[in-house]
Amino acid sequence: MSPVVHALVIGIPLVTFLMGGAAVATWWERRFAGRMQTRFGPNRVGPAGLLQPVADALKMMQKEDIVPRDADRTLFNLAPLFPPFLVIASAAVIPFAATVGTDGAFEATGAVAALDIGILWVMSLAGLMVFPVWIAGWAANNKYTLLSGMRMVAQGISYEIPMIMTAMVPVIFAGSLSLSDIVAYQDANGWNALSLSPSALVGAVAALVFFLASLAEANRIPFDIPEAESELIAGVMVEYTGIKFGIFMLAEYLHTIVASALTAVLFFGGPSGPGPEFLGIAWMLGKTGALFVLIYWIRWSLYRLRSDQLMDLCWRVLVPLSLFLVMAAAVLVAGGFA
Amino acid sequence: MIALALLSGVMLSSALMVVRSLNLVHSVLWLAVTLISTAGIFVILGAPFLAGIQLMLYTGGIITLMLFGVMLTGKQTGIEIPNTSDGQLAGAGAALAFLAPTLYAIWSVDDFGPALGPVDAKVLGTAFLGPHLIAFEALSVLLLAAMIGAIVLVRRKDP
Repeated sequence: MSPVVHALVIGIPLVTFLMGGAAVATWWERRFAGRMQTRFGPNRVGPAGLLQPVADALKMMQKEDIVPRDADRTLFNLAPLFPPFLVIASAAVIPFAATVGTDGAFEATGAVAALDIGILWVMSLAGLMVFPVWIAGWAANNKYTLLSGMRMVAQGISYEIPMIMTAMVPVIFAGSLSLSDIVAYQDANGWNALSLSPSALVGAVAALVFFLASLAEANRIPFDIPEAESELIAGVMVEYTGIKFGIFMLAEYLHTIVASALTAVLFFGGPSGPGPEFLGIAWMLGKTGALFVLIYWIRWSLYRLRSDQLMDLCWRVLVPLSLFLVMAAAVLVAGGFA
Repeated sequence: MIALALLSGVMLSSALMVVRSLNLVHSVLWLAVTLISTAGIFVILGAPFLAGIQLMLYTGGIITLMLFGVMLTGKQTGIEIPNTSDGQLAGAGAALAFLAPTLYAIWSVDDFGPALGPVDAKVLGTAFLGPHLIAFEALSVLLLAAMIGAIVLVRRKDP
């Protein structure tokens, strides 16, 4: 198959799945939160409220589209386009399935584009994510959005460092930047965060740091300072109306799904697991789903950190810890323990 | 070749917008476009690793810091920072004077020799930590010195 055909054959179902998943997630999250707080959540539209996302989308499309008078019109309208694009593009390198290769060995497949620099691609797109959000905050010309945008940038560039550092731990173990190779390594040697080898100790701590940092990158509680609604109304989204607001919300759910998938691939074996290879896609979905549920479980259980506590945690705990983990991983590999 | 021409076009025009734009924030964002198209050119030239690093460090890191710089110095004090420069004609002349010999040098070479092959992480890593170790470390020390210099410059007089 030519790369273009391959990308279309895998890419269209992937984008459909991500978009559909994000839509269902909006319903699921509210039901889940309702259950946790002894209330019902949306249960009127369709069976068990399942058609609620459709109703929400229709409602948002009908709303009036307002651009504030003093806003930077071009940038204000351009900003919502990028977050979903960047998130979906970063999902392109994630292997979602497993197969038996020609030499009989395990092989992780199902990525739209199995780039050799897989993890680097994801990390560089994650680094770009702060731009559209900051642009949105600046272009709206509102003090709340600007504050939120600045917090977003500060948080983004801070938590990027432990995130990239800890993502290097699986890279050092597998000796490759390609996500497929990282999964294949875990299939042969046990999951990075969960196995009997000594390297799993380093892997487990790295997984925790990576997970925390991706929570911060995806603006989930306890790290949702940029849109702390009690202080900043709705963060950068304050001035956005209708479907543009909807696109920002969509991007957040997409970001959470992709962050879960990435954590699963890097530290929990991704599509690798017991049983035959065709179960790979089920393993991948299961692990991603479990991490996704965990993120929302945390979101509806914990409080939000203060801005300075957030920076403290990052620069005084996570950054030194991730530097140590990278060195520990290198020592383990050099000593032949991993 | 078409992709290279397109990317070069985007890069050059956005670079022009960086210096022509009257809004400082727009300038910074155009610079981001320039740096992203540079990453695209790296991909076309068979150096995807460099492209990734370009996106991560330059676009993700440097531009973010620039935005910080703009925000911290800009509206806070209520001073509008003009984004114009004097002597534009002289500047354009100087740029052309630099461009002409560069183009001449490139065109006068008939054969650039064989390509070194794909520039991947392994090749770069071995080169940096092998034959070019001293230069690499010297650069790191230089950056460290610059960083310490910046801290000293902004330090309060009596700590």
